[in-house]
Formats: sequence, C-alpha cells, structure tokens
Amino acid sequence: MLVLTFAVAGVGNCAEVGGVAYVYARTSRGSFVAPARCSHRGGPLHLASIDASGNRLLCPWHEQPTSMTRLLRKGIPAVRSGNRVTAVFAVDAGTDTATTHRPLSPDLCGPRRAD
Amino acid sequence: MNFVPNHTPFELSPERLRELTLDFASNPIYLDNEEWENTDNPYRRQLRPQIISYLDFSEPLRAGQVLEYSALAANRILATIYEADLVFLPKNGMTEQTWADFRSFYGATNRARGEMIRPALERHVFGFLDDEVEVTGSWTKESLAAYLGKLADEPDTPSAGERAIRESSDPQRAARNWLIQFAPDFLSEASPMIRNVLGYYGPVQSEWFKVIIDEYGYGVHETKHSTLFEDTLTSVGLGADLHRYWQYYLTSSLMLSNYFHYLGKNHENFFRYLGALYYTETTLVPWCKRAADLLTEVFDGEADVRYFTEHVHIDTHHGRMALEKLILPIVDYCGESVIPEIVRGFEEFQVVNRIADEDFAAQVAWMDAGPENKRLHEPVWGRVEAGEVTAPVAHIVEPHGELSNTHQHDGDELCHIVSGTMKFVSGYDSHQILEAGQGTVIWRNRLHGAIIESDECVYEIHSVGDYRACLS
Repeated sequence: MLVLTFAVAGVGNCAEVGGVAYVYARTSRGSFVAPARCSHRGGPLHLASIDASGNRLLCPWHEQPTSMTRLLRKGIPAVRSGNRVTAVFAVDAGTDTATTHRPLSPDLCGPRRAD
Repeated sequence: MNFVPNHTPFELSPERLRELTLDFASNPIYLDNEEWENTDNPYRRQLRPQIISYLDFSEPLRAGQVLEYSALAANRILATIYEADLVFLPKNGMTEQTWADFRSFYGATNRARGEMIRPALERHVFGFLDDEVEVTGSWTKESLAAYLGKLADEPDTPSAGERAIRESSDPQRAARNWLIQFAPDFLSEASPMIRNVLGYYGPVQSEWFKVIIDEYGYGVHETKHSTLFEDTLTSVGLGADLHRYWQYYLTSSLMLSNYFHYLGKNHENFFRYLGALYYTETTLVPWCKRAADLLTEVFDGEADVRYFTEHVHIDTHHGRMALEKLILPIVDYCGESVIPEIVRGFEEFQVVNRIADEDFAAQVAWMDAGPENKRLHEPVWGRVEAGEVTAPVAHIVEPHGELSNTHQHDGDELCHIVSGTMKFVSGYDSHQILEAGQGTVIWRNRLHGAIIESDECVYEIHSVGDYRACLS
C-alpha cells in the first residue's frame, strides 16, 4: 500500500498516484478523497457541484453523477490534520507519485473554522 | 406505569459553569502562593480563582486560541481534577498542613465539584481537535498498518524546543525550564495509561499491562521511570517534589499531560489512546536519544540522563508492542470500525505535541529577550506618555513581598513602574529588576509573574495589544 501526504488546499492539493489525480473534498456531508477526473469522459471532477439531493457530485462537463455516499463510506482511507491530509492508496508502495495543484469548486472546499 | 423522565444530556449553562468552576478553584489549597515554588506539598496548586469570573469556559477554544489565558486556567484546573484520581504523598512525611490539604484534595467536595465541570473544561481545551483532525474513508487493518508504518520514515530532526535550548543565550536555564515542563507527565508517568488496563477486555488488557510493568520498573523502585527522572532533576539542581514548579508549567505542557488523562479518563476515547500511544512510544526512541545528548552537552556531562537512555532501549520494544500486541489485535477483536478512532488519536497527539514544542521554544525566546524587552519599555512608554498610544490601563499599588502568581495575557502589555522596585519573572531562574521609571514589554501568551521588592510599588499595566505597532 502507498501512504501519501498532500495539502488539503492551496499548493500541492492534488496527489497523482500512478498517473491518477486525487483531491481532498470537504462537503456539507463530510470529507473524502475524490478522483480529480470524472470516470465518464475525464472531466474536471474537482470542479463538481453537489446536486439538489446532496448525495451526488455533478461533473461540470456532462453533469455525470458520482455517488458521494460511496466516496464517503467506501472511499480511500484518509486523515486530515489541519491543512494536511494523509491517504492510504491500495497500490504498490513503489508507485510513482507527484503533487500538483487543482482548484476546487466552492461545493468541495467546505467551510473551515477560522482561527 | 411508573413515570420515567426523558433522559437528557448533562449540560451546564455558561453562568452555572463559571459559578461551579469558581466553587472548585476557590478551595483554600488552590489560592495564590506567597512563594514561587510549592515545597513538598503535592496538593497545593495555584488556580488563581480571582480571575475565573472574567473567563468563559463554555465554548471550545479555536486552534489559534489554545495558548490564551483561558486555556492556561482551564488546563491548570483539569490537571488538578485528573490528579485527584492519583495518590500523591509528600516526600518527607505529613505535617499538620499537608494532612489538612490531603483531606481537602481527596475529599468528596473537591472531587464532586471537579467532576461537575470536567466535561465542559475538556471541551473548552480539546474541542478544537474536532476541527483539526478528521478521519475519512474505509479503513482496513492493512491500510492502518501501512499508515502507522509510515512513521518509521519520519526524519530524525531536532524539535523547535531542542533548537531553542541550543541557541539560547542561557542554555542551562532553558534546559532546566524544559525539564520542568516534563514534570507533570514524568513524575506520575504512566498513570493516565493505567486507567486503560482496569476492567475486563481480553488478551490485549494483559499485553498492555506488560508495558506498564516496564514503566514501573518491575516493582524495583530504583528503576521506576519516575525515579530515574527525579535523578535527572536533582542532577541539574532542581527539586523533585511533585509540582514544586507548578507556577512555571506552560499552558501547552499541562495540555500535553492532560491529553492522556482526557483519553484515559473518558473510555469512549479508549481506541484514540491506542493511536496516541503508538505515536509516543515510537517517537520517544529518537527523541530520548537526542534529549540525552542535549542534556549531556548543555550540562557538561553532569546531567543524569538515565531516564532518557532507558527509554531509548525500552521504547524500541514498546513501539513494536503497541502495534503488534495492542493495536492490531484490538482491531481483530473489535472489528475495523474502531480504526478511525485509533488514527485520530495518532494524529491528535501530534497536533498537541507540536503546539507544546513551539510554545516552549517561544518561552525560551521570551526569557532570552528579557533585557531587550526592558529596553523596549522606553520607546513604547514614550508613545503612551505622549498620548500617541492609548490603551486600557490598570493602576496598581502593591506592598513588599506581594507575589503576582504566574499568568499570561491575550495581548501584549506594557508594564511601567511609577515608584518602587519589582522583580519581573519570565520563567524559572529568569527575571529582570525594574525600578521607578523603568518597565518592560510583556508578550502575549507568555508566562510571567512578579514580586515586589520595595516597601511598596506603584505601577501601571497598559494593554497595548501589539507593542510592535507602538514602535512604528
């Protein structure tokens, strides 16, 4: 397994693991590690909105829904501490990784209590 | 059918909480001391009840507030409440005074009042961790093992506190203050942990007991870890009686010690304790090695560092035991649903530990800056005197020997001596003498106190907020 730490927001908030990009999303229903690209046509899921039911992410390209319930309950195990998230990916520990930046939609960068 | 009332959560209104906290803290054993140190009386702790009516403990502090005065006051009270569960006796037998204090400290009134306010104070002090640490996703035993195993890759680098000691203008003073910060934890070492081995929960209970047997030196008092730490203290000229240096404990040092009591006292945090235990037992190995080297260097080989070298050895085992004998078996025993709590404890302890490290480093900088802060009085006072800076001011007159027990302020202040002489204390063995016309800048959140050395001292405290702004 691969353990990787990356930023919740700002520089380095996108973890690329074996060429697949992930971001940490904070929503009104909870937080989770989400793929940055939509499984439909590779749209920018990091810019998704949450649908009216509050249960699904909608990709901005084709409004393809992604289950938030699944990402919450069956998602990649992760822990956030402040602005740092550590996630455990079910891939070989030697898998290539990189951190980059992806902007997040307002629905995915839920409120943090200000200090 | 008999009437049964609705079961409701236990809550105190802010007013009732303040009232009960004041009831607790106004116990005569918690009033201000006339000396800087407590002498062989483990029941005396200065809780400054006269300030409590100005504090609000009813809401959790935010991350940026956990070093403010409210946190110091709450952590002092919490340490006192937790320790009523532990047995402390004076080193040199009971006197009439300590007998009376013993009865008061362990009496029903003290304990009942403490328990009433404890949940609210815990929420006040540790509630910020709910925001700071968040565990998500689907954890398995394998992902947990991979996550915890990552700790072995952490670089072995000196902490902020260690660097501060080496770079201090007075490394021995800084190191003594460092050791004082560990006293609330190390002298009653493993007491919070023991809270977890009471009860009945299978083989892990017995495995955990083995760790405790090590901590307690296998029943041989000379090898008990607290005995080794006492030897460290005395080897560098410090006293080893419990809470002698109560007034010099920083907010975060008490918070760190309280954190383990908080987890151990509230068994809903049982799994969190396991995560925190793994972190501390594993990282203690390199930390103790560095601490032994640092103390040897600073005290020219005179410091007894066996406490630290013992941990370098035994915690190699304890880290492994925490993982293989406690954490992974408890997951097998209870199921993977307990893993998020284990992970949370692992991360929470790091947050608290980091705060304590940075707080101590800041206190060393504060002690070292004593002469400069005294010098800065002149330009800041000049702005105040000229009316260019207006700030709330307190005019104070105190007699000879009046001791302002240690405290801190939420913003910078300027102390100006109108007449008389004040000894301004910014830590153990750290002070400036302030005469009429002199004074000092006081940094926010930095522990300090004062004693009047003249027949009378008239002085002013100006709450300037940010002293640097007064200089621009």
